Amino acid sequence: MDAVVPATDHVIVRKIEDPPRRRRRWPIHTLIYAGLAYIVATIFLLPYVEMIISAVRPANEMLDRNFLPSHFDVSSFLNIWSTGFGHNLRISLEVAGGSTILVLLVAIPAAYYTARQRFRGRAFFMLLVLVTQMFQPTAMLVGIYREFLSFGMIDTVSSLILVNAGFNMAFAVWILNAYFSAIPQELEEAAFIDGSTRLGALFRITLPLALPGIVTALIFTFIAAWNEFIVALTLTTSQAAEPLTVTLNSYIGQYQVDWRHLFAGSVIATIPVIILFALIEGKVVGGLTAGSIK
Amino acid sequence: MRIARRPLALAGASAALALSFALAGPVSARADTVLNLVAADYGTGPSDTSQAYWQKIADAFHAANPSITVKVQTVNWNDFDTKIQTMVQNRQYPDITEGDYFANYAQEGLLYKTDQVLSDPGNLMPAFKKLGSYQGAQYGMPFTTSSRAFFYNKKLFSQAGIAAPPKTWDELMTDAGKIEKLGKIGYGMPLGPEEAQAETLLWFLGNGGGYQTADGKWDINSPQNVQTMEFMTKLVKAGDTEPNPGTKNRAVILEQFAQGQVGMLNGLTALIPIIKQAGVLTSSDWGTAAIVGKNGPLNTTLGVCDFMAAFKTDGSKQAAIKKFLDFALQDQYQVAFAEEYNLLPGTTSGAAAFAKADPQLAPFIQALPNAVQYPNSPVWAQVKTQIQQIIGTAIGPHPKAVLDTIQQTALKGS
Amino acid sequence: MSISAAHEGVAAIRRRRPLRLETRLAPLIWVGPAMALIVVVVIWPVVIMIKTAFQHISPDGFILGWAGWRNFVFLWQEPDLPGILLRTCIWVATVVVGTMLISLALSQLFNQKFPGRRIARWALIAPWAASVMMTSIVFRWALDPNNGIINVVLHDLGLLQRFNSDASDWLGTPDRAFAWMIVVAIFVSVPFSTYALLAGLQSIPSDVYEAARVDGAGTWRTYLTITLPLLRPAFIVALLINVMNVFNSFPIIWEMTRGGPGHETSTTTTFMYQLKESYIGESAAMSVVNFGLVVIIVLLYLRATVWNREAA
Repeated sequence: MDAVVPATDHVIVRKIEDPPRRRRRWPIHTLIYAGLAYIVATIFLLPYVEMIISAVRPANEMLDRNFLPSHFDVSSFLNIWSTGFGHNLRISLEVAGGSTILVLLVAIPAAYYTARQRFRGRAFFMLLVLVTQMFQPTAMLVGIYREFLSFGMIDTVSSLILVNAGFNMAFAVWILNAYFSAIPQELEEAAFIDGSTRLGALFRITLPLALPGIVTALIFTFIAAWNEFIVALTLTTSQAAEPLTVTLNSYIGQYQVDWRHLFAGSVIATIPVIILFALIEGKVVGGLTAGSIK
Repeated sequence: MRIARRPLALAGASAALALSFALAGPVSARADTVLNLVAADYGTGPSDTSQAYWQKIADAFHAANPSITVKVQTVNWNDFDTKIQTMVQNRQYPDITEGDYFANYAQEGLLYKTDQVLSDPGNLMPAFKKLGSYQGAQYGMPFTTSSRAFFYNKKLFSQAGIAAPPKTWDELMTDAGKIEKLGKIGYGMPLGPEEAQAETLLWFLGNGGGYQTADGKWDINSPQNVQTMEFMTKLVKAGDTEPNPGTKNRAVILEQFAQGQVGMLNGLTALIPIIKQAGVLTSSDWGTAAIVGKNGPLNTTLGVCDFMAAFKTDGSKQAAIKKFLDFALQDQYQVAFAEEYNLLPGTTSGAAAFAKADPQLAPFIQALPNAVQYPNSPVWAQVKTQIQQIIGTAIGPHPKAVLDTIQQTALKGS
Repeated sequence: MSISAAHEGVAAIRRRRPLRLETRLAPLIWVGPAMALIVVVVIWPVVIMIKTAFQHISPDGFILGWAGWRNFVFLWQEPDLPGILLRTCIWVATVVVGTMLISLALSQLFNQKFPGRRIARWALIAPWAASVMMTSIVFRWALDPNNGIINVVLHDLGLLQRFNSDASDWLGTPDRAFAWMIVVAIFVSVPFSTYALLAGLQSIPSDVYEAARVDGAGTWRTYLTITLPLLRPAFIVALLINVMNVFNSFPIIWEMTRGGPGHETSTTTTFMYQLKESYIGESAAMSVVNFGLVVIIVLLYLRATVWNREAA
């Protein structure tokens, strides 16, 4: 199996190769590229730096006109937990985790089967997937709202899981389909000869080979659900069922905008996701190639 | 055992019923009554959420009435209307609400009348009775009230060389101009979508106008009101307010006042804790005065009131609700709430007790009986939404057209 | 091959029952759950939405009967609607064009080899990974006329005379607010597009470039005649995904201006949300119009992907 992994990496993932670690002087144009890239990178980070700085501003310097406060006050990061923020953090985890699991459970078989089989309705299914990949809940909010209203599922975590899973599944099917298609069928056939069933071959051969694709689909779904705002704003009515995005929005209150806790909460909600994303940075490119171009 | 139970269990016996059996256990013969209380959260930060206030009452009540459990749920103020609306749409009625927005539900027959769920409805503050009524019957129980006053930053006033708070619009404009020269905001005018209807009404009152005439006819586009908008426009154009008031919400302006960035504004008692929390102004750095009118200070102000309301649901919980409301509206809890959030009580006896406990706020309480209130009409919700959305555009060359539009919405009905 | 494989697959699950039924049921087992999810979460809401657009519904959600086309007539009579429609077009066009142009440049830059490229790419990911809602709030905060960091910078540079002036109030007037929201929308869209184009660039085989070099083509000519055409599939997909995202974008406008003052910075998406608060039927009518536009975009997307396949 070890022998196969690099091959698929090459075929599907097109892993970005980092420059070789050699000691040499970089040519001048490379340094210019680097300089430009660093400037761009800084620009893209600035809002999040400001987010962090604002979160640690002392209360009486909140509206001061300066870059940095006189000292840092991390109390907002400590106090925020007494608002029930931890509960909403858990809701966000449940929603994002639940949708991700649900997406993988339904997308893997569908993607695998459509990659391996021709069957009646296959074209229709793939078309549906392609179309729903382009749909977003925003455009059909009224319908979603009234549907879950009639189900009696307003203000439940499961409604959020369903909606997030439903709208992110298409992408997962599409990308996994591409990965499965790229895995040579001969590998599975070899396993059949060894006496494996199809399901056995799927678990022993195909899934491990498609792991990069699965990870990409997993993280994409997780992050999309984690950051989702408008559906949660519409479908939740109490703090008990609202994920972080809605909770943070409510720090903009009736009498006061609680900037410090708003930003502290945003930092807590954002940093892990950026790290998560950075971890698969190399695979993101491969994932997009497989998912949207093939 | 399963068979023996079967005749009793109706076809529709729900999992919830089964669950409540399981929880109650074999000892308790009668099922507990559960009251769902949904309250707006008045907290301004992590430490003072209203959940704690209500939970305390609920616990004390449960101790006194073990057969009744009150489940407390608090909702952020901004979302309160929509959330109650959603619950009603969802037919998951709360039993008791505390917040606003009940006129529609009274109209639809979803609410108990106050005398059905309160032993002493006469103790509710009479000034707000009309506001809480629909077709002569009172449904809304004043729970907490608030009146507006003019706040000014004494520190900025002395820096700008102003001796006393302004009394007329012209004085206000002159003073605001002086403060603006200090690089601060002269007058804070929150006409953004959040609470524009309050600021607008206070200005209308200053010129003898309002949303309705004395006999309850819509009068939004009256000549006085147009004149008022013209003066406000002048003030804004002179740079004496924050820029583009139509896009600035009250929360932001209050925060800026607390941080010493605003010279004066029409504020409310809830501003006091925000000032304290910010830690920029000491209690001697700011003061309050009567609302400034065109030709002199007003002897009236805007009074607002948040109500409790009781939903009928299936009608089986009336006795329990009555017990709880009698309990929750005791003076000690009324005073505790007013103190916690710098608001005013909603019951007469509560207000008297509070005036004794906190003499600093007694003037606000005395102003309450004269307070002008928002129109009591089922259309108000829509009119309010429209004022919030477009009143900012009346600051400009065509105030009349904007006021005409709002008047039309009011007349069109819901 | 495929039949025997299907047999094997189903056999694994169904433990050798009669073959014909299994072959027929197999797609249902493998694909059915995904299908069900799409139907329940995506298709059914569309049906309900269309139905709601023709119902008369009280603000509390009570259905008062059928409304015929009245909701659409009310919507059509909204005085702000023409402006909102026009603004929606400008919004989508400028954000998408801006995003794609910047992403083309950035994908070239980040495709070069330079020290620390990995870290620079990580930074680029931040706006993609962070919630758009939070990014929007930070921008709103940074643009505050009283103390926003952007105004502080402009003031320090001598470009801004006074705080709390009209000049400092970027979100206070419709035009400038809208321009800033376009900037934010581009800011949050660029990372994804750049990565998509980066993926496209890396799928171009290097021997193509070798050939160009042998032919003596210059850098710019190579880019125009080789890179761009080969990048086209990736470009079109990224373009359409952007069109979709930008059209449906809600948090940026909602958090920065709520569509105000008036509705002068609303797009059809935020307007639909505001209508939902008091006029559900009319809001549904707006949704149906939005949905119609989405369907048109999807059809364009389908054409483009079919074109992709033919080109490939």
